[in-house]
Amino acid sequence: MSEPLAHADGVTRRFGDFTAVDDVTMTVEAGEIVGLLGANGAGKTTLIRMLLGLVLPSEGTIRLFGRPPSRETRVRLGYVPQGLGLYTDLTAVENLDFVAHAFAHNGLPETSKVAPEAGGRLVGDIGLGLQRRLAFEAALGHEPGLLILDEPTSGVDPLSRTRLWDTIHVQAERGVGVLVTTHYMQEAQQCDRLVLMSRGRRVAAGSDADIIGSTTAAEVDPAADWSRAFAVLDAAGLPVTLAGRRVRVADTPPERVRDVLAAGGVEAGVRSVPATLEEKMIIIERAATSGPSAPVASTRTAST
Amino acid sequence: MWAMIVKEFLELRRDRRTMAMIIVLPLVLLVVFGYAASFNVNDISTRVVGPRADQVAAELRGPFDVEGVDPAADEAAARDMLRDGDADVVVVTGTGPSTALVDGSQLFSAQTAVAAAAKSDGRLRPDVLYNPDLKTSWVMVPALIGMILTFIGTIITSIGLVRERQAGTLEQLAVMPFRPSDVIVGKIAPYFVLAAVDMVIVAVVGSLLFDVPFIGSPLIFVVGGALFLFTVLGIGVLISTVSQNQGQATQLALMTMLPQILLSGMIFPLESMAAGVRWIGYLLPLTYFIQIANGTMLRAAPISAQWIPLVVLAGMATLVFTAAVLRFRRDLAPRRRATPPSGPERTAPLAGAR
Repeated sequence: MSEPLAHADGVTRRFGDFTAVDDVTMTVEAGEIVGLLGANGAGKTTLIRMLLGLVLPSEGTIRLFGRPPSRETRVRLGYVPQGLGLYTDLTAVENLDFVAHAFAHNGLPETSKVAPEAGGRLVGDIGLGLQRRLAFEAALGHEPGLLILDEPTSGVDPLSRTRLWDTIHVQAERGVGVLVTTHYMQEAQQCDRLVLMSRGRRVAAGSDADIIGSTTAAEVDPAADWSRAFAVLDAAGLPVTLAGRRVRVADTPPERVRDVLAAGGVEAGVRSVPATLEEKMIIIERAATSGPSAPVASTRTAST
Repeated sequence: MWAMIVKEFLELRRDRRTMAMIIVLPLVLLVVFGYAASFNVNDISTRVVGPRADQVAAELRGPFDVEGVDPAADEAAARDMLRDGDADVVVVTGTGPSTALVDGSQLFSAQTAVAAAAKSDGRLRPDVLYNPDLKTSWVMVPALIGMILTFIGTIITSIGLVRERQAGTLEQLAVMPFRPSDVIVGKIAPYFVLAAVDMVIVAVVGSLLFDVPFIGSPLIFVVGGALFLFTVLGIGVLISTVSQNQGQATQLALMTMLPQILLSGMIFPLESMAAGVRWIGYLLPLTYFIQIANGTMLRAAPISAQWIPLVVLAGMATLVFTAAVLRFRRDLAPRRRATPPSGPERTAPLAGAR
């Protein structure tokens, strides 16, 4: 069996007494899309920075294409950072031309779909959606084997988001391994495999079905007074979410929800339904926050 | 409004650099420049040559500070002494009145020497060389070239580098297959070229507009300029590595520029500064560039007379530029591990520059 394109093996990264990533193991294989999920500060960006070789792990090993990150591995790497990494005072063509020369290949500006759309405008003067597509083109121009995307669709409209995900799927079908961080659950469900992080630790991994498992949620009958139901359940400290007018409580038996509602003066039917990925994440995050052995306790913040 | 004032003070209290600029810097400037800001030259470095050298040297009074007497030397040797910067005034004695050869490139010393000679009842006849009309522009243009190079080297370079970091593109460069040296040289080369072009433009325009002569070796000037540029570019890179944003970079660059302008001899003569402040001037690269530019453009001083400032600048350039490159490289390549490695692979640097 060939080596994974990216392999983090028991990596930990500490900044002083703060542990941003704690003993995380994960892989990205050729042709698969791996979603890296977690709340802000979960350690996603630090893990990505370690995979890119920008930060050395305090413990554990990182391997890209079967070897430690190096100048050689970077030739096969495509990276779209959250901030896009484009030169805003250059035009789209000039940006693409620079990247093409950096990776010692030709033709990127000539084959660009974005450049004609952007015209001769400076990148700083074009819309965010177009900027993201440009960043994708720049990252894909040298036909990388591994694509690392840090919240690639942040701040773009749904149409542009769909386009970008089409691009990601096309790359995966070509055998490119993709590691993507996202806050959008719909996007997470487009991934072949997910890695959930919380407080620096890997807390779950697998497909969304694997991660959700048998976890259920209690859903309040939408015909009931949903706003009062939400207020009562929230006041009771339950992990309540609202989707449209559907009030749901993750990982809580319907009987318990019914009792709490009744105590709050709300009579409503409650049924058990499969939990969503978002609800599962909320459960995991709450457990990590309130659990007796929260893995990484610190009030310090760091770029994660 | 009160909330606004309180908020502003809270922000200021946490902005140590601005607080330093507001409180500490004025005090430092007051003390340093209080002692430095003087155009009065009390001691003029003087040598006396010719057959009556001993007698004339004994008769000379302040501001002439006789540092050497050579009865065997003639006027040609005296001119060489002046050209090589061995003294600001060389008195040539003979049978008649003595001639005080005055180095006009040392403007304030020369003015003082001429004024003192005028009061000698004809016993000392001044002959000003290298800047016979004692024009300020003649000594200011070489110094201004240095100041402009300092401006480009520190302010423009540091802002340019910090902008790259602020925009997040420095990280992008770090994951491209560049060597750190590619990035560093690529970033600095345009500023070096622009500053070099500026150096030529200012020298040419200065000569055309103010009739400032350029009688020395262009090669010495170019070498001195290049060494000076490396030093100030290195300072600019160093500033960028400790600045979070362009405002901080500008603040720091100004803090390094101000002493250079005021204590390098560009405005106030070094010899008129109090000894406690003068040594600061000798730590500044602009001091040595001005010596080279002045000596080359106005006096045609040969390499044998210029080697000290050239060597000092070479040392400064090596020191500062190496420190700058090492610090800048740290931004591109990961630092050593936070804790000792447990396996040989884990020390592999990102940069792949090996």
